[in-house]
Parts: sequence; C-alpha cells; structure tokens
Amino acid sequence: MPNNTLMSDPIVQSHQAVREATDRSMLGLVVEQARRFAAREIDPIAFDRAAQLPRRVLKAAAEAGLFGLAIPESYGGLALSLGDICQVVSELATRDGSFATSIGLHNGLGTRGLIAYGSQSLKEKWLPKLASGEAIASFAATETGAGSDLMAIRTTLTPRGEQVRLDGEKSYVTNGGFAGLYTVLARSPEMGGARAHSLVCVPRDTPGVEVGAEEHKMGLRGSSTVTVSFDGVMLPMENVLGTSGQGIAYAQHILTWGRTIMASGCIGAARNALNAVLSYVIERKQFGRSIGHFGASRAHVATMAAKLWAMEAMVERTGIEDINGGSIDGISGATKVFCSDEAFDICDRAIQLHGALGFLSDLGVERLLRDARVTRIFEGANDVILVFAGTALIALSRSDAGRRCHATVEPDLEEVARAWERVEQELQESLDRVRKKYGVKAIRHQLVLQRLARAHIALQAASASLWRARAVDAVARSVARLSVQQLLATAKENLSTLESSEIDESNHLQVTEALYRLGAMPQPVRA
Amino acid sequence: MNSHVNNDQSKRRQRIIALVAEILELDDPKSIKPTDRLREDLGMDSLGSLELLSTISEELKLDLEMEDAMGISTIEDACAFVEHHYAEQHPNE
Ligand SMILES: Cc1cc2nc3c(=O)[nH]c(=O)nc-3n(C[C@H](O)[C@H](O)[C@H](O)COP(=O)(O)OP(=O)(O)OC[C@H]3O[C@@H](n4cnc5c(N)ncnc54)[C@H](O)[C@@H]3O)c2cc1C
Repeated sequence: MPNNTLMSDPIVQSHQAVREATDRSMLGLVVEQARRFAAREIDPIAFDRAAQLPRRVLKAAAEAGLFGLAIPESYGGLALSLGDICQVVSELATRDGSFATSIGLHNGLGTRGLIAYGSQSLKEKWLPKLASGEAIASFAATETGAGSDLMAIRTTLTPRGEQVRLDGEKSYVTNGGFAGLYTVLARSPEMGGARAHSLVCVPRDTPGVEVGAEEHKMGLRGSSTVTVSFDGVMLPMENVLGTSGQGIAYAQHILTWGRTIMASGCIGAARNALNAVLSYVIERKQFGRSIGHFGASRAHVATMAAKLWAMEAMVERTGIEDINGGSIDGISGATKVFCSDEAFDICDRAIQLHGALGFLSDLGVERLLRDARVTRIFEGANDVILVFAGTALIALSRSDAGRRCHATVEPDLEEVARAWERVEQELQESLDRVRKKYGVKAIRHQLVLQRLARAHIALQAASASLWRARAVDAVARSVARLSVQQLLATAKENLSTLESSEIDESNHLQVTEALYRLGAMPQPVRA
Repeated sequence: MNSHVNNDQSKRRQRIIALVAEILELDDPKSIKPTDRLREDLGMDSLGSLELLSTISEELKLDLEMEDAMGISTIEDACAFVEHHYAEQHPNE
C-alpha cells in the first residue's frame, strides 16, 4: 500500500497521533527525571572545586538511564531523536555544564559512530554496555599537531592480516579518564587510498592503550579531559566503522550531532544565567530602586531573553531537520557558533548585573562563564566554522542560495517577517557582489567570509525565532519579536561593514606585520 | 610556435598537479592521474578545490569565476578550465 494512502486512513492517523502524544509524554517524563536527578545528585560548585565528577554520580547516572538516550531500544536504550536528546542535555546543563558535557558527549560524539556505522556484531557487543553505562564513550580526533586541521592527524591505522594496528596519540579526549570505549579517527593510507582516514572503536583495556593524567582547565572542570596514546594496539578488523577510508565523512556526520547537542548545553547555561538574574535584579536595590528597573538593566535582561529564545529555536529546528531526513551539515555548524557565542554573552551579562557577587565563586555565576568559554573552541573553533560557512555560502549557486524562506507567521509578527525578507534579499545581493568581485579568490578574504557567515547565521536564527513563535502566547511573541529585531540588526551590521572589508584587511595586515616582527606591543616613539 | 605553446601548457598542467599534491600533502605528485576526481578519488573537499583554484588564479594572474569553478570534477577538468581562461585572458601568449 502506498504510503500516502496509509497516512490518509483516519484510523492510522489517530494511531499516529496517539504515538506522537505518547512519544511526547515519554520525553516529558525523561526530561523531568533528568531534572530531578540533577537537582538531587549534582553539586556544580563542589565538582568544579574538586575538578572531578565523583564516580558515584556516574554510577547513579547509569542507573537513571542517562547513558542510553541515543541507543536503539533493542540494545537497551531509549532511542531518542537528536532533538529529544538535546532537550534532556539542556535540562542537565541548566544545573551543571560539566555533567551535561559528559552525558552529552557520550550520547553524541561518543556513540553516534557506532550506532550509525558499526557492524551488527560490534553493536551487539558494545551498545548494551554503553546503554547501561557499564562502559562510557569518548571520541578522539584532535592531536597536538591537528586541531582545526583534521587532515593533519598522524595517528595511523594499518591492516595486519585479520586485524588492524593503531599507533598515535590523541589529546583533549572528553570522558577519556573513565571511558571504556574510544572512537578514534586515524589516517589509513593502506585502507582506501593515500589520503584515506578511518574510524575505529578501541576498548580501553586493549594492550597498548595508555590514558594520561587529567588536564587542569579554566572551565568544565568537573569533566574529564585527557591524552590517550595507542602504541601498537591490535584490534579486530570489525572494529573499523563502516567502509574503511570513509572516516572523515563519518566524522563530519558525527560532528553534526555533537555540535547540536553541545549547543543544547549552551542553552542550559544561558537559562541558568537568566534565571539567576531574574531573581537577583528585583531583590538588589541601589539608589533606592531595584536595579532591574533601570533602563540599562532592562536592556540586558530583555536581550538575554531574546537571545535565549533564538538559541532554543535554532536547536529545535536543527532537531526537526534531522528527523525530517534533511542534511544538518550547515545548520548544525550555524547552531553551534550561534549558541556558543550567545551563551558566553548571556553569562557575561549575568555577571555584570550581579556586580561583585557575580565575580565571586560562591554564587556560581562566574562558573557559567568559565564553562561556556570552551564551547566557542571545541568541536570546531567558531572562527574556523565561520570561514567555512562563508565559503559554502559563496560557493552555492544562485538558485540554491535563494531558497530559504520561513513559513507563515502570527499577524503581529508580520512586520518583522517582512523585514527579514528584505535583509535576506540584501544578503543575496551582497553574495552576488562578492562572487563577482573576488571570483575564486574570495577564500583569501576571511573577513569578508566571516561577515557574510555572521549575517547568514543571524538570519537563520531570526527565521527559526519566527518559526518557533507560531501559536504561542503574547509574552513569548514579544520575546520572539525582540529576538528577530536584534538579529536583523546584527545581520545588517555585518552586511554594511562588507564595504569596508578591504580597508579593514589592509589595516589588519599592516598592524600585524609590524607586531609579528617586533614580537611585542611597541612603545610609541615621538619625534 | 606550436611546440612552445604545448610546452607552456604542459608546464601549467604540471604546476596544477604539483599544487594538488601540495594541498593534499601528498609526497608523490606522480600518484595523481588526470582522470582522478577531486572529491571522490582525492578526498578534496570544496574548500580544497577553491584553495587550488585561487592559488592558480594568483600564480597565473587569471580571474576565475566562482560559479564556473563549481563545475570542475577531475584533474583533467581543472587543467582544461585553466587553459580555457588562460587563452581568453592572455591571447598573445
Ligand atoms: C575541554 C576540551 C575538550 C575537548 N574534547 C575533545 C574531544 O572529546 N575529542 C576531540 O577530538 N577533541 C576535543 N577537544 C579538542 C578541540 O576540538 C580542539 O581544541 C578544537 O578543534 C580546536 O583545535 P586547536 O585547539 O588545535 O586549535 P587550533 O586549530 O590551533 O586553532 C586555534 C585558533 O586559530 C585560529 N584558526 C585556526 N585555523 C584557522 C583557519 N583556517 N582560519 C582562521 N582561523 C583559524 C582560530 O582562531 C582558532 O580558534 C577538546 C578541547 C577542549 C579544550
């Protein structure tokens, strides 16, 4: 029976509706359970000071089922979609970034490769343990010589009869200190061509695996970050994921999940910061008034809410794109950059509004900022993602580029929706001008690429904000409206500075050439 | 005259292949065949292809349009693309 006939059957439709409602209420339960778990078990300030997650918390998290979010039900997991995992992780992150990062990484980067590309027998062997939390997962791509430039990695995988041999060293491995299974990206020139890379699953207890000491970090201090080295590690061929030689493409897919989940962690931090501010600014009085009633404070608070609205919209939309089977390559990068930048800004505003108290560690607001900082670096430094996103934009053919448009909106948001269309049109015109002006040399102009990408991301976020505001109450609509207005202003600002990019670039070149030569800030010499 | 043109053409071709090897950090440019596809066979992403073309456009003083460049699939395509634009933009050489 063709699908459309099946779907138009009223009985099937009602089954579908019941199923969706059951899924939603199941998700509601899982999120509520995660919230209660975090409130009961997690002490963010203590974990931050001790710079570790107590093992008993990991054990309790395992019992609560938090390690099985992504894993298919047949292996003992909850089989949640990407969007649903994000809801759970953002709830955990509202309590603590370190714990949310550990859980988020396991359910995203750590297990995604095995779930998507692992052989049946490898999945049977590992997924039940990973779902129950008996084993925790890590993902190891970065090396000391290869961060943003993943093609520069030196860890090598070579065939040895029925087995493969792994040699090399990985740095900054999240969860690495207690992980039972590492998904490792390695060059595999003898498996798929000179430039080929492959992903391989490495159990921690394999001879030749050595786990280094914990790094001392600025933030996410309760999470584990270690170096892991592999010295002549022999593994069965079946531990190589999917088709050997496809490692980079697989890693890119895994990163789309990792980045989206990480962005949901940013939402938690931002929510936490805003909630702290809302109770503080009313209670704190200066000059005879609640500080929250000063216009400058209202600007901070309203902006925080508007940004948070857009962050939630971006993550929600990415989750839906994924469920609908669309590619989330571009949008997950945009969501990561947007949410990490905005979370940092929101945490910074929260510290500002708390004054000196915000600077003290007892309150925990400063920790939010420290924890949020790294999200602009890991899983792709924002600077680099912006350059790539800008390049992708100018490389799109014109017909591809014009297609993004959002659906119908609430009547009182019509005006900002029309404004969105005008700015989107401006972006398209700017893209055309840049293509014409620079041709293929555009990739040499990173400032131009980044400005285009920032404008585009702001427009995507504005579109998501509008989309999220369908059929919501008046308060939510007012937050959404502010969000769209501010994002359009950001987009326009980036487009308007495109004109001066060449002057800016030449100034940057001149100043940095001098500074790099001198190696320090010069004292001015007066005639 | 003709052999002179062919000689220059083959120099440009060799240079393109050497650049591909450089971008891909391959030790041996000879391992690259004209029929190799940039993406599928050489694992070059779109950024790598653009990197290649922008270096060529700088070295050979050519204006190469972004949109035309997107149609390039193999090493052979890249060489033909460059020759076409070279002949157009440097008619007296
Ligand atoms: C707490 C923590 C946890 C981590 N967890 C993991 C993990 O679990 N697994 C894993 O594999 N890795 C992990 N990482 C590593 C992380 O993904 C890398 O740090 C990140 O990819 C950036 O690489 P890098 O640090 O080498 O920076 P670099 O690549 O050296 O970049 C530094 C800066 O240089 C600039 N830059 C670099 N290239 C360009 C360019 N092409 N254009 C413009 N600017 C550029 C940017 O400003 C960038 O921020 C973790 C890192 C940290 C700090």
